[in-house]
Amino acid sequence: MLSVRNLKKKFVRLDEKRRKCEFYADNGISFDAKSGEVIGILGANGAGKTTLLRMIAGILEPTEGSIQFDELRYPENEVEIKKNIAYLSGNTKIYHSLSPYELLMMCAKLYGVSKEEAIKRAKEISKVLNMDSFLYNRIENLSTGQMQRVNIARCLVHDPKYYILDEATSGLDIISSQIILEFIKKEREKGKTILYSTHYMEEAENICDRVVMIDQGIVIEEGTPKEILRRTKTSNLRDAFFTLIGGSINEK
Amino acid sequence: MKNNMFHILQKELREMFRDKKSLSMMLIVPLMIPLLVIGMSALFDKESNKKAEDYGKIGFCYDLSEVEENLASTMGIEVFQGTLEEIQEKYNQQELDLYITKEDTTYTFHGNAGETTSYASILATSYFNAYKEYLQNEYLTEFGIDASKVQQILTIEEDFVEQENFFANYITTYAFLFIIMAITISATYPATDATAGEKERGTLETLLTFPIKSKDIIIGKFLSVSLSSIITGLLSLGLTIVSLYFANDMFTLYEGVDLMLSPLALVFASITIIAYSFLISGLCIAIASRSKTFKEAQSALTPITFISFFPGMIAFMIHLETTTVLSLVPFLNFTLLFDDIVSGSVNYLHILLMLISTIVVITIVLFVIIRQYKSEKVLFSH
Repeated sequence: MLSVRNLKKKFVRLDEKRRKCEFYADNGISFDAKSGEVIGILGANGAGKTTLLRMIAGILEPTEGSIQFDELRYPENEVEIKKNIAYLSGNTKIYHSLSPYELLMMCAKLYGVSKEEAIKRAKEISKVLNMDSFLYNRIENLSTGQMQRVNIARCLVHDPKYYILDEATSGLDIISSQIILEFIKKEREKGKTILYSTHYMEEAENICDRVVMIDQGIVIEEGTPKEILRRTKTSNLRDAFFTLIGGSINEK
Repeated sequence: MKNNMFHILQKELREMFRDKKSLSMMLIVPLMIPLLVIGMSALFDKESNKKAEDYGKIGFCYDLSEVEENLASTMGIEVFQGTLEEIQEKYNQQELDLYITKEDTTYTFHGNAGETTSYASILATSYFNAYKEYLQNEYLTEFGIDASKVQQILTIEEDFVEQENFFANYITTYAFLFIIMAITISATYPATDATAGEKERGTLETLLTFPIKSKDIIIGKFLSVSLSSIITGLLSLGLTIVSLYFANDMFTLYEGVDLMLSPLALVFASITIIAYSFLISGLCIAIASRSKTFKEAQSALTPITFISFFPGMIAFMIHLETTTVLSLVPFLNFTLLFDDIVSGSVNYLHILLMLISTIVVITIVLFVIIRQYKSEKVLFSH
């Protein structure tokens, strides 16, 4: 189980007079995620979703608060936690000079998977994600959809317990997006915990068991999609979100 | 998981050897050294073997006596006589290297400040010194004084190092300075690519999601850049020795000069190259990792190319010698030690101090980079 408590992250930015001023990208976020759950982290651009997921993935250090994976906590158990996490975002790119096979083997090594096990998993994953035809070609020569499959494959190679997917379908065509959505469903069936951030509300409504809505770094609503719709008296998450933020989008 | 540093190193090396630009930086830059050595040797050889007929066409705007004509002839001067206008016209048509006018006992040299005029001026000065000596002898003899005794009041002897040795030293010193520069150039590209390039391509964020400590990432990257620089450095050293060997045979400039390094000198040269490669790789990574983009990192690293070269060049110009203190000064110590190695006067203590100083600097630099890699300003500056 993943437990996030009172998570805060402070950054410094320049104002119009180029003076430094502090602001909280996330300001006291708390939620839990159980095994076999897909948790949707929803919010507009700049709401604090990426910062939140980066902290959970151990890429950013929180200013305040705690993150606990089962019995493990940051920063003491950072390496052990990361062994059980797969992080995929629009910003996480893969090495173009390698072939998908070389990339999978490299990732497996870095996750501490034995060579025999890594070879076995690379072949299995290749079959599942239909990558056999380009497994030994350089990634730089692959199409966007094929690259996305390779990106997913590298998340599977160490068989993680937790997936952190940040805007993973953002900017992708309908086929590439579908590959990721299918992948989420399959992994949920295996009992994996998935944090899925998106600003596509319809997408979240379809695949998320529970949703955490964030605006200006704070949680404005949390629950199953049905619970949120009932509480906001709306028919879809998009309307629910607008109702919760007061009908207007706050530009930050 | 203890091998993560080696996995990172392996990944970096694979990327580096598959990248044409990194490879060309690593392998093509050393190829400049034979061109430099052969080119400079040819140039200096031509200069040192310049004959009087190449710059000895001198116009005299007055009539020369038989004595003057004979003296000019023995000194290899090709005499042209005529009026000022005639001589000036010849000079303007570049048929003369210099022309001389006379007013009473004052002789004036005319010409531009070009290279041939300068050489011709030196020749003409020697000619007038000889002529002056002849006139003094005549004068003293007229008064019954033994001129040879007067001239022996002072005895001047010359004990110069052969001109050829000076040029040879000049070329070998510059060739070894160029090795330092080649290593620097070779380190900048992979250092930029492994840090700012990785950030710009978006793979750094992927790398940070792996269960690896930032220390392993940095040391892996540092070792890969160092290896690239070491390859360049050792290749440059090999090519320098080969080109000096061929230059030795090709040019009279090197007559009587032993250009070959002893096996021990080669070992010391290799140690210096390896130490410098580690130092410059660490510095390049430290600077490049603070940049947001590849282009920004390249601009930030440009001054380091000059910094690597200038201390050595200045030391060479002012004839600085290696001392205990100077052995500790980064950049300067490498070029000074190279100079000692080439001249066969290596001091073990200086080598040891250079190594200690390099290890200290590298440790500080790595410590700073590891801290940088924990800083969000560096990682997410885009």
